[in-house]
Amino acid sequence: MPGEERISNIGYEIWVELDDENKKLYGKEHITWFNTTQDEVQEMWFHLYYNAFKNEKSTAIQESGGETFGPLGISVKEGEWGWIDVTDIRLADGTDLKPTMEFITRDEPVHPGDQTVMRIRFPEPVKPGEDVHLQLEFNSRIPRTILRSGYYKNSYFIAQWFPKPGVYEEGKGWNCHEYHLNSEFFADFADFTVHITVPEYFVVGASGKQIEAAPDKANEAVTYTFQQKNIHDFAWTADPDFIKVERDFIADEEVSRTEYKEIARILRLPVEEVKLPDVKMILLIEPEHKAQIGRHFKALKAAIKYYGLWYGPYPYETVTMVDPPFRTGSGGMEYPTLFTAGTSILASKKVLSPEMVIIHEFGHGYWYGLCANNEFEEAWLDEGINTYSTGKVSAKAYGRGTLPISINRIPLSWFFKLPEYLDHEADRAVAIHVVKLDPITAYSWKFFNGGSYALNVYMRASTCLNTLERLVGEETMLRILRTFHMSFRYKHPHTQDFVDVVNEVTGRDLSWFFEELFYKTLNFDYGVSSLKSREKKKYVRGIFDADGKKEEYTAKKISEMEKRGKKIDEDRLYITEVKVRRFGESRVRGDVTIKLKVVFEDGGEEIRFWRGQERWKKFTFEKPSKVKYAQVDPDNIWLIDSNLANNSLKRKSSKKGILKLTTQLLGFIQNYLHFLGTLT
Amino acid sequence: MVILRVFEQGFRTANRRLRMTVYLWLVNFIFSVLIVTPIYFLINREYSRSLAAEQMTGGMDLLWLGDIIYKYQDIFPALVGWFLIPGILFALLSIYLNGGIIGRIVAQNEKMSLANFFGDCGRYFFRFFRVFLITLLGYLIVFGVIFSIVSALFKIWTKNASSEWPLIFSSNIKFLVLVLLFSIVRMFFDYVRVRLVVENSKKAVRATLSNFSFIGKRIFKAWALYLLVGLVTVILAVIYLAVYQLLPKLGFMLVVAFIWQQAYMFSKMWTKILFFSTEYHFIQAHKPSLP
Repeated sequence: MPGEERISNIGYEIWVELDDENKKLYGKEHITWFNTTQDEVQEMWFHLYYNAFKNEKSTAIQESGGETFGPLGISVKEGEWGWIDVTDIRLADGTDLKPTMEFITRDEPVHPGDQTVMRIRFPEPVKPGEDVHLQLEFNSRIPRTILRSGYYKNSYFIAQWFPKPGVYEEGKGWNCHEYHLNSEFFADFADFTVHITVPEYFVVGASGKQIEAAPDKANEAVTYTFQQKNIHDFAWTADPDFIKVERDFIADEEVSRTEYKEIARILRLPVEEVKLPDVKMILLIEPEHKAQIGRHFKALKAAIKYYGLWYGPYPYETVTMVDPPFRTGSGGMEYPTLFTAGTSILASKKVLSPEMVIIHEFGHGYWYGLCANNEFEEAWLDEGINTYSTGKVSAKAYGRGTLPISINRIPLSWFFKLPEYLDHEADRAVAIHVVKLDPITAYSWKFFNGGSYALNVYMRASTCLNTLERLVGEETMLRILRTFHMSFRYKHPHTQDFVDVVNEVTGRDLSWFFEELFYKTLNFDYGVSSLKSREKKKYVRGIFDADGKKEEYTAKKISEMEKRGKKIDEDRLYITEVKVRRFGESRVRGDVTIKLKVVFEDGGEEIRFWRGQERWKKFTFEKPSKVKYAQVDPDNIWLIDSNLANNSLKRKSSKKGILKLTTQLLGFIQNYLHFLGTLT
Repeated sequence: MVILRVFEQGFRTANRRLRMTVYLWLVNFIFSVLIVTPIYFLINREYSRSLAAEQMTGGMDLLWLGDIIYKYQDIFPALVGWFLIPGILFALLSIYLNGGIIGRIVAQNEKMSLANFFGDCGRYFFRFFRVFLITLLGYLIVFGVIFSIVSALFKIWTKNASSEWPLIFSSNIKFLVLVLLFSIVRMFFDYVRVRLVVENSKKAVRATLSNFSFIGKRIFKAWALYLLVGLVTVILAVIYLAVYQLLPKLGFMLVVAFIWQQAYMFSKMWTKILFFSTEYHFIQAHKPSLP
């Protein structure tokens, strides 16, 4: 369109045919790559992700090394390997580039046998402002699902399946990492047209909007064509049993005028700018989950509404939500305009699953889909921000959820009242365990292990963002995320970009916050270490000069003097000493201080602020009453604090809560012992 | 109906031996208190002066629970040991107490006293310990072999399932099979113990072997009786949980909840006696046919 800003610098047209019997894909791909940089580009690097499942020399399988973190470990059975072969690659003028084709491995540590990154060389460099047209042909064997892509029986989830150029970075060259075990993806924005040919018994869903379904009666096949501009990946799924349900998100029905006005006020934007468009919602769901269609759409509507209001309107016409076929192992994953959810037949309504998955994966359409950070290098930017956002949206739409505990796939919440929690509480409970392992900003494949990657990048980053929200205020945090999102929509932001936005929106220099909590492995823990009140003595023992004489005040003499004085209660003064400590290595900086609240028995309160640089500090108060308790961070700003219990100290202990906990434990132990007794 | 008559007799016997229920509850309670006390002091030391302790009265909260897990993560192995070793000791103690329980049930015309209860505990300990060792073999055969075969069969069913339903059914049927197998093993060796006392025999192996014949002839009746008492246990557990969930755990109601918890434990001890007493009466009902 004339005047329309060009977002994508790649165009894809792909023809792919699914061979259901042999679990193969046959593809042709036309790529147009536009050089938007000032560099002359001599070569092009491609991701061939399916080769991660080709043999045990691949980087991902080498990294797996027996480690399995949940369902993401790699364990390929014989006959289930996957691979991709580029059988032909040439320029539009017919120049054969295949002789220049080679696999390269640049990531440290080097895995020389990996074939997930391919390089080709152009006969002439692509000059700034020029484009290059490539024509490829490829065959691939679909793996039995690994890392969420593949097949189970005749259900397919096809992701990371076509030769895809890396991202060319001006002055640096191609950013094209191997397929790592603990990493997701990075690509440039592109315009896709994909023609998918499948046997006619399949129901198909894909990224983008379906524009055609052309039956081929002779071959009992159908070719579906999907198109979408301005996305950086394309995934599709095919299953004979899918039930396809379409509903509309009608913005005017979902968002009230008051809500628009309120969000516009918070974001300091005109109401028109926060208005949401309508979106076509497509659900592909397994028949056995049919009863949960309503749940899926309700969650998706909540996600479209709040992500849209808070971070920016959803810019695409469609969103496709896939209930992944049983055992395809492809649940809980995001792709542009398409995501996989995941539920179980007996899902409890009190447990916010599949809701949380739907909100989270749709949210990735914003954090990853639109703000397309490099997930290899700075995964927290999408996973962390999105985990934080998921918590906010689910809390707003649903409130507290019940702990997801099942026995034999039967939810215990059907029978018992299980504890309820908010997402940020669960995030924090696990985040504090991995602080010392890795910084949040480590490269994805360089984390200590899969657990450290997941807990740091998702939960710890989210906990830090919740801390930041408490520090700057909820409304300011919304403005930060809105500004960041809209400034970097269709771009590739870095951590520093986020920090810059935080500083810009808050008008404060909070760079230290990220240095301390994101780039380092320092434990954050401030607390109260001691607390005491003693009566201030009117007289003290010793030798004193009075009327030119030396007079000794003994304990006996003081006692007599006090009796004579008959000190009444109102005269009593108490000296209270509070010692606060920085137990962790991390410290606050800039204009931020640690707040100390001291509450006295007469109801009086004192507030002090501590810069928190030294290891400890003593605060002294002289009050007519003894202290009741002292508390650092009484406003619960520092959610990332690894020990919230030591944030407060009472003068007198109280055992009620502990007794309650202990009696419950006692009951557990009694039952445990009784059970052991029954075995004898 | 023999089963109902035997159940009624067992019920009466269990009620006549309520004092024994008190002994069992006390032993369980004291042993549990001994295990829990150090943990109480540990938590008390760290939390009693923190405002977090007040949050504990409001129910489970991932913030303070997360803190506790983080704080004590390094001593978890020690905690496991702390639960495991007393558990083993309690298992031995249970073998000892079983002698008292069965001894006093069998001697139902004698007066119940602490002395004769513990006298029976000591009298039967070693033969019951031998039965326990044979029981372990029973568990090994049933769970290590039979249940493994059952699991393998279920795996064949679910391995290529295209739906979650077979998994839901199989895991729950497997669980049911596990419970039923467990009930058979337990019932079988309960009868061995009771018969050792009834027959005043010291030969655990011989009693076990002869029990195959005794139980084998009337397996369904014996099992039905056993499951009937099991049903009582389940009903009591359901009542306990239903009421416990309704009780507010604040202030004085915390004490009520604790008393209710102990009442339930008391009922569990009572059902333990009920198991043995019904088994005793079942043996009595079939005494002429004892080998």
